[in-house]
Amino acid sequence: MSISRRSFLQGLLATSTAALVGPGLIQAAHAAAGDTAGQWKVSGSHWGAFRARVYAGKVQEIKAFEADKYPTDMLKGIKGIIYSPSRIRYPMVRYDWYLNREKSDTTQRGDNRFIRVTWDEAITLFHDELERMQTQYGPWAIHAGSTGWRSTGQVHSCGNHMARAIAMHGYTVNKVGDYSTGAGQTIMPYVLGTTEVYAQGTSWPLILKNSKTIVLWGTDLVKNLQVGWNCETHEAFEYLEQLKEKIARKEIRVISVDPVKSKTQNYLNSEQQYINPQTDVPFMLAIAHTLYKENLYDKKFIDTYALGFGDFVPYLLGATKDKVEKTPEWAEQICGIKADQIREFARMLVKERTQIMVGWSIQRQQHGEQPYWMAAVLATMLGQIGLPGGGISYAHHYSSVGVASTGAAGPGAFPRNPDKPDKRIHKNKDYKGYSSTIPVARWVDAILEPGKKIQANGATITLPDLKMMVFSGCNPWHHHQDRNNMKKAFHKLETVVTVDFTWTATCRFSDIVLPACTQWERNDLDLYGSYSGRGIIAMQKLVDPLFQSKTDFEIFTLLARKLGQEKDYTQGKNEMQWVKELYNGCVEANKASFPMPDFETFWKEGFVDFGKGKDWTRQAAFREDPEINSLGTPSGFIEIFSRKIDRYGYKECQGHPMWFEKAERSHGGPGSDKHPIWLQSCHPNKRLHSQMCDSEQFRATYAVKGREPIYLNPHDAKSRGIKDGDLVRVFNERGQLLAGAVVSDNFPSGVARIEEGAWYGPVDEKIGSLDTYGDPNTLTMDLATSELSQATSANTCQVQYEKFIGKVPAVTAFGGPKEIS
Amino acid sequence: MIKFIKCFWQIVSKPSVHLSLGLLSMGGFLAGVIFWGGFNTALEVTNTEEFCISCHAMSDNVYVELQETVHWKNHSGVRATCPDCHVPHNWTNKIARKMQASKEVWSAVFGNIDTREKFLAKRGELAQHEWDRFSANNSLECKNCHNYNSMDFSIMSERAQVQMKMAAERDQSCIDCHKGIAHNLPENMHSGEGTLAKLEEMATSGYDQGQSYYSVRQLPLFTDKTLATEAGQLNAATKVTILAVEDNAIQVEIDAWRKTKGFGRVMFEDFAMNINDGFLSKEVALSDDYMDKGESKIDELTGLPWQKVSVKLWMRNGSLTESRDTLWTFAKTTFDKSCSVCHTQPAENHFDTNTWPGMFNGMLSFVNLDGDTQALVLKYLQKHSSDFSDEAH
Repeated sequence: MSISRRSFLQGLLATSTAALVGPGLIQAAHAAAGDTAGQWKVSGSHWGAFRARVYAGKVQEIKAFEADKYPTDMLKGIKGIIYSPSRIRYPMVRYDWYLNREKSDTTQRGDNRFIRVTWDEAITLFHDELERMQTQYGPWAIHAGSTGWRSTGQVHSCGNHMARAIAMHGYTVNKVGDYSTGAGQTIMPYVLGTTEVYAQGTSWPLILKNSKTIVLWGTDLVKNLQVGWNCETHEAFEYLEQLKEKIARKEIRVISVDPVKSKTQNYLNSEQQYINPQTDVPFMLAIAHTLYKENLYDKKFIDTYALGFGDFVPYLLGATKDKVEKTPEWAEQICGIKADQIREFARMLVKERTQIMVGWSIQRQQHGEQPYWMAAVLATMLGQIGLPGGGISYAHHYSSVGVASTGAAGPGAFPRNPDKPDKRIHKNKDYKGYSSTIPVARWVDAILEPGKKIQANGATITLPDLKMMVFSGCNPWHHHQDRNNMKKAFHKLETVVTVDFTWTATCRFSDIVLPACTQWERNDLDLYGSYSGRGIIAMQKLVDPLFQSKTDFEIFTLLARKLGQEKDYTQGKNEMQWVKELYNGCVEANKASFPMPDFETFWKEGFVDFGKGKDWTRQAAFREDPEINSLGTPSGFIEIFSRKIDRYGYKECQGHPMWFEKAERSHGGPGSDKHPIWLQSCHPNKRLHSQMCDSEQFRATYAVKGREPIYLNPHDAKSRGIKDGDLVRVFNERGQLLAGAVVSDNFPSGVARIEEGAWYGPVDEKIGSLDTYGDPNTLTMDLATSELSQATSANTCQVQYEKFIGKVPAVTAFGGPKEIS
Repeated sequence: MIKFIKCFWQIVSKPSVHLSLGLLSMGGFLAGVIFWGGFNTALEVTNTEEFCISCHAMSDNVYVELQETVHWKNHSGVRATCPDCHVPHNWTNKIARKMQASKEVWSAVFGNIDTREKFLAKRGELAQHEWDRFSANNSLECKNCHNYNSMDFSIMSERAQVQMKMAAERDQSCIDCHKGIAHNLPENMHSGEGTLAKLEEMATSGYDQGQSYYSVRQLPLFTDKTLATEAGQLNAATKVTILAVEDNAIQVEIDAWRKTKGFGRVMFEDFAMNINDGFLSKEVALSDDYMDKGESKIDELTGLPWQKVSVKLWMRNGSLTESRDTLWTFAKTTFDKSCSVCHTQPAENHFDTNTWPGMFNGMLSFVNLDGDTQALVLKYLQKHSSDFSDEAH
């Protein structure tokens, strides 16, 4: 039992080298170049499809799928996920929880001391806890609302398995929304009538043909299009390449409105409009002011297609409560763009065909609803919505949106809902006055302040008194904000169960951890191209599940067996029969338009190609006939003023888009005197959120002294005595972390970036302890965007940093638990 | 017999003693030309309408049915003959089809379908073969004449525009929707398969004057009982009251509300509720001939003026049901299954009536639902939204 972390890690490394990574890699390394022994198999992932050479039971080599002309560099990290020292090998139970169950010392959570148990014991414990919750408390005590990017594959989709098995046992608390687009997906249905954030966009060829100006508003296409919700095709990169050529020939102007020179800007060699962080709304308001004052806006379009402009203009002119006219001079003081430059920008927008592409970053901040709404108002004033290459989109950076859809049907999924709801073991639906569904980012609040009433999207939510959390393929200790606040909350939980293939920080703070296998240790299939519907890709099992890991299908079948409902769970079908059934369902759905080969042929070939779709213009139907093709807004028209939102009577989201000062803001904003640096935690360039951080060799290609990079402005770094490659301590009142300095001209003074998804590795379990690897959510604020969305505000975050001096702690984020025997 | 074959084989397999190789090759070539010519001539003969209707099964059944359709008689005087639609135009497929057709000749000779009754009993199976073939080649024979790219949507009826644009976007197989375009449909089968057929199965028949019914799917509306001029489209699960019943046509009354910004073409189920009951053509919407206008009031949540109308139009006699329950059951099953592929489907009462269209439309690109099912599921969600639910959530 007394085992030091260091000796444990050494032991782990030794065993992992010998038993796990060892033979395969060593053999591969010693093999002559051009070794071709073994079998090539096809599989897919969020990073794209690939072929893998499997020899001697090991994945030896990975190469991009031939249909993928622009494969991401991250394919190099796949092998490292399978053979990571962070892999969960056995079912594990937190040591003190094992001894004392629900009466365990929860302040020990996060000390990473675990004991190995058998599968049988682990499933029994899991089941008994669910049973105890339902009998001792009720459905309000269990939260089983996993969220996030499950591994790809439609049969093994982990959230579906968890939801189905747990629903067969009883009711639980669920979530609405997600961490990526919480504010956007809530506000946009009021304004443009759909979530917008997940909507197909105007096809790239039409944009390339018709747009004269493209505004990239806080969006980094080249970085974010590397990954996709289903198997990614990277088809959008072909168009980005064409865009780059058109920019060089001066046929299209691309301007990114961004504090940072993005990867896209550097790739396209395009222009930047610098803006102070979090001040998009003042800039937009001043543009609107200019368009209004200079009579440059499209009145006819507004009359025909929009409502509420007249209720918005007084705010623009300073005739409402705040008595501030939203002039360019006013905005300049906040957004840091010269007034004349703002006017120039406004005039440029109306001059020719302009496509505005908005990213998700600006809605992941306090009052994140406002810039989204205001951007739609701007686009309405320009009057180009529904024209090819004009108007506005909120998703061109996502999953190859903008690549035309073939219209072919993709495969369904393993059913998430129980087939026989009447056979549910606990039928109790009494939530004791608590809400059964809560906004996704408010579960930590629920644990800390049960019974608290909050406003959300027109409803009153009563936060439930959560006692047990169940996570599957979901890593809230990466995606939620404010680690030390989470530690506090986890002290109050009785039981936490996590199913994953890799020892994330969520596992570290759990009580029961069940080892799933990776997506490459099971047979499955996936849609190739989330939006383009390019084809169907086979996911042929590369190797058998490592160690004692099992597929999600097997794990939750075991739980269903405990419930005496194994057959109801599996429908009597095994993995391969499910793969076949989903494929055949797809054949049936496509039979009229896309003939597909039989399953055996598909499985052997590994791919069905549906070809290319037809180009399409977003909102063209609405523009053509706003009456029949009305929007999904309350009125059917674009709502510049929303009477519905106005009626909610919220403070931080009112009847029309407005500027609200942030809780923290750089460049002279609140809190910047003490913590002058704005920390942006955008989607990573070399990971998919926290996925692939455990891939050792690949992580080593970008880590600095073994830590997550922090990107710093040269002047800011120099004034603090920091050089490229130095260790930096980043801190604020909420927490502290170590990161490795990368000094770059891409970042303006007052701005730093740590990409989200860096694994959390605290020195110890105590509140306030130093994070040794560099998870930015150690520093972010757990603050709701507003009463409307209750979404995450990760990008509202001020920090200070200094050169780290002193004894350097080892990185604790990777390598699994400390096993007590 | 076996002896004969052996003997014959011995002769043909022996090298020639008396004739030169050249002569033999030449002879073979000539024989080939004659055979090929004969074969092709025979093939061409079987490709004529005369050949097709030389059997009673064809001439007495499908051929007379064809004469009632637009493919026989129309204002442009272009006519489709049997092989235009039923024989593939490229050689390989043509030969393959001919091999299959030998079965039909067999049937003719042995009398499987030699009476009207026998033919009708077998029609479903025969039709299915053709539909499968059209499905597999994406209605190639139709598209030899009808091309999506050459269609002028603007001169179509509004209802046709909606449907045809959707079909063109997906390059949909024509026969998906146009079964029964040239011949009668099999008995007990309505105008489609899959979802459409499932919905049609929910329809009852024989409607009583003065009673109310619900449409099982989207249906065309007409200005009078000749059903000649389209007046708009009735949405799925919409309540109508029967005013008059003719053989093929019924007159219905739709009590609805409409917004008076624009032409007022869209009918809604209730005041300030965006529950679509269908739409009217511009002419009908602007005319006083087809509707009684009732009270007008402003919806405070949008500021838009609404007007109560009672619309009287004609439709085909069919596709109505007495209660929405079976439609809702179908819609709920579809919603639960289709919308849980990526995430847990939200509870129906999680959103209000006017929020559902936005949420639903935003997700449509992820599900495989045809237009009728989309319309039905959306209406189901709206009618079970928080506005209609007492259950706390």
